[in-house]
Amino acid sequence: MFSSVTVEDLGSDAPPVTLSVDSGLHVGGVILKLVEKTQIKRDWSDHALWWEQKQRWLLRTAWTLDKYGIHADARLVFMPQHKPLRLGLPNGITLRLRACFSSSVFQTVMGICRMLNIRHPEELSLLQPVEEKKKKKDKNSAEEIYDLTEVPLSSASRPCLYNGMPAHFADSPQMEAIYKMLSVTQPPPAPEVIAKQYRAASVVDKAHIHGRWLDSSRCLLQQGIQENSRLWLRFKYFAFYDMEPKYDVVRLTQLYEQARWAILLEDIDCTEEEMMLFGALQYHISKVSQSEPQMLSSSAAMDDLESALQSLEVKMEGESNDMSNVIVCFRPKRMTLKGYKQYWFKFQDTSISYFKSKEESIGEPIQQINLKGCEVAPDVNVTAQKFLIRLLIPAPEGMNEVYLRCENEQQYAQWMAGCRLASKGKSLADSSFQSEIQSIRSFLAMQKTSSGTHGNAPANDESINTHSLVSPRYHKKYKAKQLTPRILDAYQNVAQLSLTDAVMRFLQIWQALPDFGLSYVVVRFKGSRKDEVLGIGPNRLIRIDLAVGDVVKTWRYNNMKQWNVNWDIRQVAIEFEGNINIAFACVTADCKIVHEFIGGYIFMSTRSRAKSDTLNEELFHKLTGGHEAL
Amino acid sequence: MDQLSDEEVEVRDEEEEEEDSDKDDQDLDKMFGAWLGELDKLTQSLDDGRPEQPPQQEAPLRQETNMANFSYRFSIYNINEALNQGENVDLDALMADLCSIEQELSTCDSLTLTESIRTPPSRLQVRQKAPTGHHGRPALASNFSLDDITAQLEKASLSMDEAARQTSSHSLSSRQHRRTGSVGTVSEHEARSIVHSSRSSVTSASRVSVNSASSMDSLDSVLRSSESDGQQPSVMPSAEGEEQAAKLKAENIRVALEKIKEAQVKKLVIRVHLSDESSKTMMVDERQTVRQVLDSLLEKSHCGYSPDWSLVETINELQMERIFEDHENLVENLLNWTRDSQNLLMFTERIEKYAVFKNPQNYLLGRKETCEMAERNKEALLEECFGGSSVSVPEMEGVLWLKEDGKKSWKKRYFLLRASGIYYVPKGKAKASRDLVCFLQLDHVNVYLGQDYKSKYKAPTDYCMVLKHPQIQKKSQYIKYLCCDDVRTLQQWIHSIRIAKYGKQLYINFQEAMRRTEAAYDWSSLSSSSIKSGSSSSSLPESQSTHSSQSDSGVSEMTSSGHARSQSVVSSVFSDAWRRGTQGEFKSVHLLCTYSTQIYKRY
Repeated sequence: MFSSVTVEDLGSDAPPVTLSVDSGLHVGGVILKLVEKTQIKRDWSDHALWWEQKQRWLLRTAWTLDKYGIHADARLVFMPQHKPLRLGLPNGITLRLRACFSSSVFQTVMGICRMLNIRHPEELSLLQPVEEKKKKKDKNSAEEIYDLTEVPLSSASRPCLYNGMPAHFADSPQMEAIYKMLSVTQPPPAPEVIAKQYRAASVVDKAHIHGRWLDSSRCLLQQGIQENSRLWLRFKYFAFYDMEPKYDVVRLTQLYEQARWAILLEDIDCTEEEMMLFGALQYHISKVSQSEPQMLSSSAAMDDLESALQSLEVKMEGESNDMSNVIVCFRPKRMTLKGYKQYWFKFQDTSISYFKSKEESIGEPIQQINLKGCEVAPDVNVTAQKFLIRLLIPAPEGMNEVYLRCENEQQYAQWMAGCRLASKGKSLADSSFQSEIQSIRSFLAMQKTSSGTHGNAPANDESINTHSLVSPRYHKKYKAKQLTPRILDAYQNVAQLSLTDAVMRFLQIWQALPDFGLSYVVVRFKGSRKDEVLGIGPNRLIRIDLAVGDVVKTWRYNNMKQWNVNWDIRQVAIEFEGNINIAFACVTADCKIVHEFIGGYIFMSTRSRAKSDTLNEELFHKLTGGHEAL
Repeated sequence: MDQLSDEEVEVRDEEEEEEDSDKDDQDLDKMFGAWLGELDKLTQSLDDGRPEQPPQQEAPLRQETNMANFSYRFSIYNINEALNQGENVDLDALMADLCSIEQELSTCDSLTLTESIRTPPSRLQVRQKAPTGHHGRPALASNFSLDDITAQLEKASLSMDEAARQTSSHSLSSRQHRRTGSVGTVSEHEARSIVHSSRSSVTSASRVSVNSASSMDSLDSVLRSSESDGQQPSVMPSAEGEEQAAKLKAENIRVALEKIKEAQVKKLVIRVHLSDESSKTMMVDERQTVRQVLDSLLEKSHCGYSPDWSLVETINELQMERIFEDHENLVENLLNWTRDSQNLLMFTERIEKYAVFKNPQNYLLGRKETCEMAERNKEALLEECFGGSSVSVPEMEGVLWLKEDGKKSWKKRYFLLRASGIYYVPKGKAKASRDLVCFLQLDHVNVYLGQDYKSKYKAPTDYCMVLKHPQIQKKSQYIKYLCCDDVRTLQQWIHSIRIAKYGKQLYINFQEAMRRTEAAYDWSSLSSSSIKSGSSSSSLPESQSTHSSQSDSGVSEMTSSGHARSQSVVSSVFSDAWRRGTQGEFKSVHLLCTYSTQIYKRY
């Protein structure tokens, strides 16, 4: 029989190569003949045959054509298994890299994560991006794509690290720059960029996005993904296992970016207070990541000794506490004492005391106030030159309110820093005093610029538009300079965090949000006549009434007995303990996606028990594969 | 005496010291007043000799807030080295010495130091100079290399040893006097330390003759061991053992740091009320967690080990109470009480303390009805909620009554609990996250159980909770009162707020409490003698505290009981190590062991 094979490398216009083969010939033999006929000398090892009609790779070279069921009419394509892909990362950067088009998406993701040095690839998957509007074309040309297609394909389970990064990133300065891009958080986006991004307005919108996950058990080509297609790499299962800042630099950074965008685009709901805290953390993270570029920590033993010595240092310094004497205005909030009065203030240890004048400061103070445990809040308006420190000092009778009015920025920064440290029980001698002053000053600088340029300036290192830190809702609600004091307020609680701690804190608060980790699918429950939404979380399923928007029912995986998919009528049936049975058909997504989510989360929960480094791929496939797995 | 168990009586021979542990508060108060008077004088005389003292420390400060920092309410007394009869305290004393030597090291040349230590009088001068010298001194770590520090520490321990051998009981007393003074200058709460250090000097002076024998013994033994520690690195061949030497040095520094810390520890005598209306007086040191205090109370009272034993703070004036969490620092909390406080500290069994973990299905699932759950599923649920990298706060929401600020009326509002605080839904809005109004954040407040608020505040029901800053002790607009429809809702809210506030720590506390309960069962199978010695030594602080509140009557026993005591200390140390065989505690256990072996060597 004759078989015609299209060889991709000859170009799309080239006619198919016709071979005369025996149906008993094995696939390897066909390839050999084909290569001989093309008379091209090159490395063909990555190439394989793709059966177009059946949408199937012929990867078993020992199988005969007969066994595959291939006849003369079969359209075969000879092409490489690894092809370039444009991959959008959570931080918004697009990489061009070689991904495997012939293995299951699960393995393709593993390969990508290996290349990018992301541990636990099972938590990530590929998402087809939302179609961008036509007008994006002009913008697209400006988009920078970082090329990783030259990276050799390796099969080692863990890349060997060189200088803290995989060896292939240490090759050239360009590659190193790409790795930096992966492992360092991006500066806050300009407010217009946030505003332009697609935002899911409703649960149904979100459900449509979650319908775009690729099938983990099938390969890219089978799902219609072509060479140079655009895909998003995203965390899909919100059960993050064994996060270790030491090894997970890229993973943590990308997770942070995904979380940050989820907040900024209101993909997940939060309160105003929480938004301000997220804003403060973003500000802090971007500021610190500029000064300490890598989330690397020195050895634990050294740290230990370091901290021991540091505490010794503190002990020794204990009494050489600086006293800083500044004149501040003061108003105890009492009915009798209206307005501000000037006093000579003295800061010592964790207390402030005040005197009528500098001359009297040798004697007994009018009052001494210990600030340990008090609340410190700023009330600042740079343009109006208002520098108020509001102290809420707990006392047996309640809280005493005290306002300190500073004359200028410099004085304010010093006293504010002192008050903050004192409220935590630290004295001015504490090593963090200077950095605290510095961070307050840089925050004030931010207010200056943002009020001056009307929030139009792109973010540079010293000044960040506060609109870059919150969702567009708050762009409308507050002016940038109104936002600054609110974020500053939240900022004081996080200003001392290291980069890693700040990122971890951000992720923790994100994970503590009530709607965290929910993926939505519009479904039709058996016996119901209306569409409802099924929320799939890391530990539970929820049923949401679309009309009210309320959660009407919660089922937990913990008491789930089994779940089945009827692939013919495309219905998911789940049985819970206590004879609870539910069944539904999926509207916005294939039921394979729902099946994979449930099975995937079950798989994620098995990881803690089997504490080994190797990924139990077989189990994942069993739990998520569906009928392909059987 | 009535609260003493038979076992304790059997083991200890200083029974009569216990006698006044149940005396009236009035008595104690009077005595405390007398002490204070004495102290004032002493403080003054001390200050005369210390001109560098900041001026505002001379007289009681006119500070309106945080009175607790320098005054003690009547059920709490600070007794420090006044009670230095036992080995415990001798170790403290030693550490204090080490500490002051450490200070000198950084100021003086090490040569002159050795000199000065050899001759007690000159040492006195050096010490008094020390505080002034500190001001101009650069930070230690930047100035001295690791080797320098270790070398100096070695020298220090050597010379200490020598000094100890030479000193007579007379010089010992003078040293104690000064030592306590210098400790005061290092510590944070200077005013307070001066107060009790001066007190200690009074008592110690009167007891030196009795103490010297026993305290010298233990002093010597510890010194000897620190000497051998110190010598090791210098003996070692430098070429191959370098790394090990570095490790040893690091360890030495750590031990020294530990000692420095130890030396600055303050102790409080507290009165704990039991449910049978009796009370116990005991000494707690400022580092102790509620768990540790509970442990020693349990060991003493033989009331059967259960994780439900709790220390409960009752604020009578506000009719509210709170169970202290196991990880909290007890002294820190008690210092919030005012001088004239009616507050009580109760030692009692409270099943609600860990109810969340015993029946998590009733609290974590946001259900309205109670139900049963298989143990296996409970564990899975707890693991799910507390095992991950972040704790999921139970979904608590519903209508509660809120007492308006300063008003008598209670108004209904729809409240929601989130990890970031308590919110309510403003009128006319849906409960979308972005529209919620923050009622309060949990960082600065604790949740209390209100008692009998129907009559006190005309609450709709008696199921009330209160949120307030721990330092607020009197009626104030900053206290928030919330009222629930039924006790179940109230308990769910209180537990959920605790979870939101403490997160995983709460679960760790519970696991720790369970571990101890199990350990207690194991212990009962061991020989009874080891238990006895353990319990006798742990109740030691109590006997000391009561002892001091007497006039000098019971002194004569001290020498005779010295031997038996150090043995019991050893066994309790080991039992402690056994019980606290966890990773985190390892360091401190290790430290304890080094001490105990030193004591052990002597016998």
